[in-house]
Amino acid sequence: MSSKNESIGKTLAVVVALCLVCAIIVSFASVQLRPLQQANKTQDIQKNILAAAEIENSGSVSDTFNAKIESRVVDMNTGDFVKDVDPTSFDFEQTKFDPKRSFALKDKGIKDTAGIQRMTKNSPVYISKKADGSTDAIILPIQGYGLWGIMYGFLALESDGETVKNIIFYKHQETPGLGGEIQNPQWTSKWEGKELPIDVVKGNASGNEHKVDGISGATLTSNGVEHTVDFWTGKNGFGPFLAKVRKGALN
Amino acid sequence: MADTKEMKAVLFGPVLANNPIALQVLGICSALAVTSSLKNALIMSIALTLVTAFSSFFISLIRNQIPSSVRIIVQMTIIASLVIVVDQVLQAFSYATAKELSVFVGLIITNCIVMGRAEAYAMKSPPVMSFLDGIGNGLGYSVVLLTVGFIRELFGKGTLFGVDIIPLVQDGGWYQPMGLLILPPSAFFIIGLFIWVLRTYKKDQVEAKA
Repeated sequence: MSSKNESIGKTLAVVVALCLVCAIIVSFASVQLRPLQQANKTQDIQKNILAAAEIENSGSVSDTFNAKIESRVVDMNTGDFVKDVDPTSFDFEQTKFDPKRSFALKDKGIKDTAGIQRMTKNSPVYISKKADGSTDAIILPIQGYGLWGIMYGFLALESDGETVKNIIFYKHQETPGLGGEIQNPQWTSKWEGKELPIDVVKGNASGNEHKVDGISGATLTSNGVEHTVDFWTGKNGFGPFLAKVRKGALN
Repeated sequence: MADTKEMKAVLFGPVLANNPIALQVLGICSALAVTSSLKNALIMSIALTLVTAFSSFFISLIRNQIPSSVRIIVQMTIIASLVIVVDQVLQAFSYATAKELSVFVGLIITNCIVMGRAEAYAMKSPPVMSFLDGIGNGLGYSVVLLTVGFIRELFGKGTLFGVDIIPLVQDGGWYQPMGLLILPPSAFFIIGLFIWVLRTYKKDQVEAKA
């Protein structure tokens, strides 16, 4: 490090040149890898929807998804299907911050029991079909605040719109080993066959179709899951849509 | 060009004799955070090793041009760019891991090992030696991470790389997993024990009493 490096001109030249080179490398990597990353993200969501629908993955995820799952968009307010919105245009983490497509719960006077602050006006729902074309399950995207952050998941209901088939969370920040057990199939299997509305309780819930055992050591996460499911199956969530399903809107 | 003996010393010295975590106690934060499973520990080790090696290499390459008044900023710029590239590559090729590690990969930027090697070694040494030094320190970091990850995953979850090794009580086996090991503080204990064992074996690492 000789003293000739210390002039202002040299310092500026080195810094500017370095920033340019680094900027080019970073943007090149980012642009080149974006299609792969996007595909990964889409595939990850599709994989989780298939898991919620309990569909075995035969071959590639996207092929199975396209063959077995019908994606529709529902107007949250009326519960009707919306035709002119692309179901793949939703990002479950980002779209709710798009002011054109979403609203803040407090602006509409909705009680934010799930702790999500904002939600989209429309939401995709996924319908898995049996071989004979009848509805097997309805998969609803859900999200809500647990103990540490928003938990993202899918709730799969039987075609009656009342019975739980499955619940999975694919992204959360709950404590591993405690709240993180919301991902454990041992726990999620307890939801199967339960009827809405569901309470997550401490103690023995077996035999009661409206109750699920909470996770021991994770009371706040369990409460978060209960509130999340309540919110999304309630009147401010997919309630209007589920009411139509129960009247046979899918048949 | 340095001789092979010196290269060996630079490459393998940091693994046990001059371990960045055990002796210099650098990079503890990520060692606590990512070691709850062996797979994450491995990916983090590879990422850190690559970043340290290449940042040392590039910094060493331009070391005679860097004005010393802005040298830390220059080092950070190079390190940060490499970390972003690593993060982008992970997101593209190992999405599930990237999702779990994303925050910690970003934090490689502030990992003292990377900065420490850039400042202490790469600024004074030729590129190839700096590169080897980066690899060596990355290996030293990896040894600790993998050891901690091995113990935490095996005894905390009964698995290794996600494969069941010990049958757990909750799945009908006999082993009651140690919940503490899943939580970050347990890594403190394990790293502490690691340092104890290392210093019992290599007495010269014991600090003189003041």
